[in-house]
Amino acid sequence: MNKKKIVLAEDNTTLSLLLKFRLEKEGFDLFMAQDGKEALVLIENNSPDLIITDIMMPFISGLEVISYIRNTLKLETPIIVFSAAGQEEMVLKAFNLGANDFMGKPFSPNELMIRVKRLLKM
Amino acid sequence: MINYQYIYNSYNDLPSLIKLSWFVSGLLILVIIFMSIYLKIIRHSIRRKCEINIKFKAEYETSLVSYLYSGDDSGKLTEAQNSIIESLKDSIKIASKRKIIVAVLYDLMNEISGEMSVSIKSFYYNTGLMNYAYDRLDSKKWNVVAKSIGELNRFRIEEASHKIAKYINYPRPEVQREAQLYMVNLFLFEGLTFLDELTTTLSEWAQIQLLETLQKFENQEICDIRPWLKSANDSVVLFALKLAQIYNQFEVKETLMDLLSHTNKDVRLSTINVLTHLYGIEAKDILKANFNNLSIEEQINFFGLLEKLVMPNDEPFIEEQLFHKNFEIQLIALNILKEINIDKYMGLLNLPEKEKSRAMIKSENKL
Repeated sequence: MNKKKIVLAEDNTTLSLLLKFRLEKEGFDLFMAQDGKEALVLIENNSPDLIITDIMMPFISGLEVISYIRNTLKLETPIIVFSAAGQEEMVLKAFNLGANDFMGKPFSPNELMIRVKRLLKM
Repeated sequence: MINYQYIYNSYNDLPSLIKLSWFVSGLLILVIIFMSIYLKIIRHSIRRKCEINIKFKAEYETSLVSYLYSGDDSGKLTEAQNSIIESLKDSIKIASKRKIIVAVLYDLMNEISGEMSVSIKSFYYNTGLMNYAYDRLDSKKWNVVAKSIGELNRFRIEEASHKIAKYINYPRPEVQREAQLYMVNLFLFEGLTFLDELTTTLSEWAQIQLLETLQKFENQEICDIRPWLKSANDSVVLFALKLAQIYNQFEVKETLMDLLSHTNKDVRLSTINVLTHLYGIEAKDILKANFNNLSIEEQINFFGLLEKLVMPNDEPFIEEQLFHKNFEIQLIALNILKEINIDKYMGLLNLPEKEKSRAMIKSENKL
């Protein structure tokens, strides 16, 4: 069976590594980006089944990533957004741009797994 | 080939001032060359240090993630976890590496919750990082002490409470604030017992931070705030008044009545506001009887209370204040009268212009 591909865009390297371990353990194929720019390259090259992105990232923000995916690439790939406390407005913008789900930081990796599986209908 | 003898002779023939200028110029050139080399060495060493730190951080992150995923459901450390801790113990002894480890743990604690954050805490505990934070509590530098309390708070080390309690009345407000936040963050309303011992002023900012921390928790069962309402520290009384309002402490109304005669004006003002919020109808008679001895701000606050809790029998008192020297009071009194007796209110608006108060003129213009 083909592994489902996930692009994870997160500038906190420790958190990325932590989620990579967890998602790979669950059988996903993971592509990691440390900023929005890298994320867009990975998305265009790998056609992932799911995208997980932080909102605040260097170079290109998570909001711009979502906008590019939905408006330029015209992809319907599910997107989960991470946001820190106090970024409620950003979350609303993310939903308006086409995000499918969001998780406020700090979040539980177990909960993230449930949301990932739900969006991928597993 | 350069003729050094000729240069030397020419130099000697120069006037003294020119000679001095040449000497100073030469000296400055030497200093610039020396500084450039020194700067290059420093830059090189900083870059090298940075590279080493990045490398160590990457190594350490992998160890930490392995540690977090090596646990089992028993709650005890597994063999793999123990071996990771042992391998990191030497690095932890080095201050610069320890700083990186704590920074990574700190970052992760801000991003992760649930079981994983409990594992991070156990890592902090078992690697002995906690002991270094304890040691820094004895530092003579206030910023080091504040940071170490913040760290113990972030990793929720409850065992440090007896040590941190000493810093509640520390001379620096930054340290006091960290100690107070530690108490509330870890022990919720029980942690507020530090207010019993507090002799320094609890700043407005500190009060806001404490209230914000308290509201983050699910358990909103507040303890008895009466002792703090009776505190000798006015800032503690003001904070307790905020608690009374936010947590709707109807049971402390009697204590609030006593505060209406408190020596501090701010306390009296806040008490009237809290009583307004808690429908402290009993306060009306006390304040009415003492109305002329109140400050203008207290009188205004009292009228705010009346606006909310007015009864028909308050009408004579309201009428007395229709021509109060303060415009705001005139206006509130007129509005209250409009609520309880519209005919009298309309009658007042029909008075000759000369007999009207400023509030009446304004109200008439609005109609």
